[in-house]
Amino acid sequence: MCKHIQKLCFIAAVTATVIVTGACDKKTGDSGKEVTYRLKWLFNASVAGDIYADVNGFFAEQGLDVTIKPGGPERDAIKELELGRSQFGTASADQVIRAVSKGASVVVIAQLFQTNSLQWIYRPDKTRVDTPEDLRGKTIGITYGGNDEAIMRAVLAKYNIMENEVQLFSVHYDYTPFYEGKVDIWPVYRNTQGIFISEKLSEAAERTAFFDPDMAGVRFVANSVITTEQMIKEDPQTVRKFVTALLRGWQKSLDPKNEEKAVAAIHQFDKDTSIETVRKQLSVTKRFIKPSPETEIGKIDADAWKQTENIMLEQNLIPGPVNVEKILKPFYNL
Amino acid sequence: MLHRRILQFLLIYVLGLTSLLFIKYVLKLSDYVIPGPQGLSHTVSCVFVKYFFDVMNTLSVAVIGHIISVCLATIVGIIGRLNSWAGSFVKVAAYNIQAYPIVAVAPIIFILMGDGISSRLLIAAVICYFPLLLSFIGILSEPVRDIEHFYEVTGRMSWRLQVKIRVFENMNKLATVIVGSATLAMVGTIVAEFIAADSGIGYSIRIALYQSDLSKVLVALFLIGICTSLWLTCLERIGYLIQNHFRKG
Repeated sequence: MCKHIQKLCFIAAVTATVIVTGACDKKTGDSGKEVTYRLKWLFNASVAGDIYADVNGFFAEQGLDVTIKPGGPERDAIKELELGRSQFGTASADQVIRAVSKGASVVVIAQLFQTNSLQWIYRPDKTRVDTPEDLRGKTIGITYGGNDEAIMRAVLAKYNIMENEVQLFSVHYDYTPFYEGKVDIWPVYRNTQGIFISEKLSEAAERTAFFDPDMAGVRFVANSVITTEQMIKEDPQTVRKFVTALLRGWQKSLDPKNEEKAVAAIHQFDKDTSIETVRKQLSVTKRFIKPSPETEIGKIDADAWKQTENIMLEQNLIPGPVNVEKILKPFYNL
Repeated sequence: MLHRRILQFLLIYVLGLTSLLFIKYVLKLSDYVIPGPQGLSHTVSCVFVKYFFDVMNTLSVAVIGHIISVCLATIVGIIGRLNSWAGSFVKVAAYNIQAYPIVAVAPIIFILMGDGISSRLLIAAVICYFPLLLSFIGILSEPVRDIEHFYEVTGRMSWRLQVKIRVFENMNKLATVIVGSATLAMVGTIVAEFIAADSGIGYSIRIALYQSDLSKVLVALFLIGICTSLWLTCLERIGYLIQNHFRKG
């Protein structure tokens, strides 16, 4: 009998411990509304504002308990939204337009990158690409199926450069063909990979420069914040609060006064990148988020979205027009 | 045998597809998440022929990779059966190499060998040779005492004869493991193409994933399944003929 009581006491103690530990494990701010935000890519300087807002409690101030999840090639924020696993996400314009053309009910509530950070790196001492026409005769790296393919094809079409006048090289994960000089210009995200590769080539006493499609008049919208039509209809307040906190995070993270805080916050999530590199990445990221002091962070550039749709239509990446302006819903208009 | 294997594959594929469509309609998901029948049939009409040749390309590499891995496993198995230092070294080296994840090793292979056919072959061979190796070492290390004893006492035993006896006595097991590893050769080739090749169905799947086009992936899976079934049936037939030949001999 005594043994039974001992057993029961033991089980009760274990159960109580599990319950208490579980309760303690729960994030603080239980009172806040829980939402999940799926990024487009891994944690790095490209999501500086998102991290800053989270670390500094901007979401909590708005009464939200936000879980930020990193993205990646197999983690599509739009699919997560549809499956109800996330309430907000980041996606590039081509992803959004493709999804809308297939019936997805997704809306854009803020545009984080005012210009696309996708550019092509080259060695100016060996290759000159001062104007888009200089692309003639060059070996150009592109990721078949990726948005860099669409952008480069749009540049070539805009400047009447035939495909047989350039050599397109299929790009993979490693940069060896570029380092070996087999490829003249290589697609990179200017604010992240661009910094790494420049540093590496600089160690080998080689200079680098970037070809920017935006400067050539091809505007292909990059990372934007998305949610569902249903979320906007049913809970516009949460959407408004979320975007307010997020954009405040971006504003503060790009403020020179907060640079050290922002770098530390990013490094907390991206430990594999050195503090010095993060600092450089953040500085370049700022140019894409806030290209001029007058630029309003998060502003949706409807013309750039329309151009992106047109590029995709011309290249048969979507079967027909989606009238992209219909899904652009700046949060201040909600 | 062929029609049964194809039928089994079709059954599994149709069941999988039906489940996906069921989820799509129950959860009211858009074609972006799970394509509908109309989108699927449109994709079939657009990419079927191209993907068929891509799968053939992949299959040809997988077949050669499989042959290489069988040869490799035979050689390592013959050396590894020895109780000497060399045998033990080969065994340890073979096991250790396999412990590395191929996705981590693949970029090194591609840097050294480029993104041509040789890299795809090597990766396919590396992925499918381990199960072969385990069986080959096991079979070739296990003495067939009744028969071997006779040759040993008469002083006529050589290493070739020893290998022949053990292979002949375990022909069924070897045939089964060779057929089983053929699927892995196909998987290995697709992984290699997915990581860094410029052709083959793995490369096409990678492009489809970049475009978030699940319907293309489903078409690719269908063709991979059918072609792999055909290849496995061929292998089984070859194994059967070889066994018959040995029995008659």
